[in-house]
Amino acid sequence: MPFSAQPPASGERYALSASLDNARHLSSLLRAVHFQDHATCLATASGLRVTVEDAKCIQANAFIQAEIFQEFSVQEESVMFRISLSVLLDCLTIFGSSSLPGTSTALRMCYRGYGYPLMLFLEEGGVVTVCKINTQEPEELLDFDFCSTKVVNKIILQSEGLREAFAELDMTSEVLQITMSPDKPYFRLSTFGNAGSAHLDYPRDSDLIETFHCNQTQTNRYKISLLKPSTKALALSCKVSIRTDAQGFLSLQYMIRNEDGQICFVEYYCCPDEDITEAEL
Amino acid sequence: MKCVIGGAQLRVFGRAIHAIARISDEFWFDPVEKGSVLPVFRCVNVLERNVEKCSISTSPSEHHITFQLLCRHGVVKTYNLTFQECDPLQAVFAKHMCPNILKVHSRLLADVMIHFPTSQEEITLSVTPMKVCFKSYTEEDTDFSRTMLTEIQLSPEEFDYFQVGVDSEVTFCLKELRGLLAFSEATSVPVSIHFDRCGKPIAFSIEDLLLEASFILATLCEAEKEAASPEPACCPQPWDSSRTGMDKSDQASMDGASNAATAAPKKPQQKGNTPSMDPAKPPSASAKQEVKNIPRGTERDVPGRAGAATAEAAGGEATEAPYAKFHSLFFGAVSYKEKEAIGDTFQSLVTASDTEEELGALQSSPVL
Repeated sequence: MPFSAQPPASGERYALSASLDNARHLSSLLRAVHFQDHATCLATASGLRVTVEDAKCIQANAFIQAEIFQEFSVQEESVMFRISLSVLLDCLTIFGSSSLPGTSTALRMCYRGYGYPLMLFLEEGGVVTVCKINTQEPEELLDFDFCSTKVVNKIILQSEGLREAFAELDMTSEVLQITMSPDKPYFRLSTFGNAGSAHLDYPRDSDLIETFHCNQTQTNRYKISLLKPSTKALALSCKVSIRTDAQGFLSLQYMIRNEDGQICFVEYYCCPDEDITEAEL
Repeated sequence: MKCVIGGAQLRVFGRAIHAIARISDEFWFDPVEKGSVLPVFRCVNVLERNVEKCSISTSPSEHHITFQLLCRHGVVKTYNLTFQECDPLQAVFAKHMCPNILKVHSRLLADVMIHFPTSQEEITLSVTPMKVCFKSYTEEDTDFSRTMLTEIQLSPEEFDYFQVGVDSEVTFCLKELRGLLAFSEATSVPVSIHFDRCGKPIAFSIEDLLLEASFILATLCEAEKEAASPEPACCPQPWDSSRTGMDKSDQASMDGASNAATAAPKKPQQKGNTPSMDPAKPPSASAKQEVKNIPRGTERDVPGRAGAATAEAAGGEATEAPYAKFHSLFFGAVSYKEKEAIGDTFQSLVTASDTEEELGALQSSPVL
């Protein structure tokens, strides 16, 4: 099927068509959830949501609102497909991933509908690239059923306070233990590795903490290998909200400001680890 | 044990741990008061720009050592690390008996080392009373058409202190030295270099009001070069009989010792070269001193040796076979009795002392 370097006229019916002046607004967010090869894309009138899951235990979502795009139109109520996130990222960064000031890659994205590939038209400095990525049947996604009414504990803090902690996590530990409590130690991250244990305590009155709503003392453990990829989202973000529900499910929401100052969100949901036995410390 | 380190000193402590980490995954932690040595397995990287204060305490009953870092924004980091007590290792190295002492600012040393490629493993320090030279060390089988050799010559005036008692050429591992240089730059204290002829350890140390650090590295013995050159720079003349006694005892201990000591190839051993850092106390560090020999039958200037060489070679012969290069040591005509007397003092130490007797002997030896 021959295709020209010209993007299709906007008169044609595309289930999804979008234009973005700076492809990095999309690629940087997608990188923050890129811990699996495949992702499920959901496009609605409000914008694009890209979901990545692993082990039926962890789910990450990147939200790019319609307002971020210069043009965003979805013909049906929603359009959903599964796609190789690795390939999508490679295409979006085909002109290189370094962000030189003044240069940016323009993107036009078109999707005809079920069974059709996702078409990307990328342009930088007069050079145009056309990519055609095959799409697949979307898989059923986990529903963590995490709504604000079910939240037991919630802390919002500045990302800079957590960045080093996450980057330095003792990866010989199987779990990351999170303690949230109205009493001491208030907010504690713990690991139990080969050399010993490490605890990181944040007092509730720390100037890093913006919101501290803890009603109950909760200590939950999560597989560290599952949470480690969230470090990427943390690195991009300026604020992070940490919430747990009665079952110990964890929600991490990252507020990310892009190059133009627009706000986007990435969230991670994680199930607590039941198998791990009590730690020594 | 409980101690608190604050502010600027903490940065130094952190850098010290980094420097040590370049050498080994484990390090010794020696609280001065108790005098016992507690190695800490895989100490976590505690270097932290945000840290205001660090408190270190131990609970011997639970075999835990706790590092508690008080950081900015009220954040507290607590590391509980397990440790194991073990017998202390003593370095037998008399710094004050070294004929060659150089003192130079770490900045100068760093500027010199930067010229060597990062892949350069060993360098040679060559001194005469007239000049000091740092050059890359290459093995004999190196393809010179593909190798870059670097040589930097310095005049004695560049050093804060310059004493060369014996012309010597010592070869040691550069990688470990870089760790010390990075550390000493943080403290901006001059580095003292104590060394002797090749084969003897070389010590790089820094000292200021609050700390003392010593890196003792083994050096390679380039005995062949000595034999070949008309004026063997490495041979101190006249021979000190106590020295030869030492060599002889080394030989004896080598013969008797496990092959581990002699099994090493030409390179100086790196294991066991750990720096120690104690506030206001001469550090004790462990060092493996490699025993090297010259080939049998090489002509030597001192006649007495050649004869002894052949006689002793028989002893060395047994271990020669598996190793491509095996050299026999100097030894003059030394009596058996003399060897015994000196043996304890200058014994090259490889393993921890097991018996009290040996420990007693070691402690009486001239340590730093």
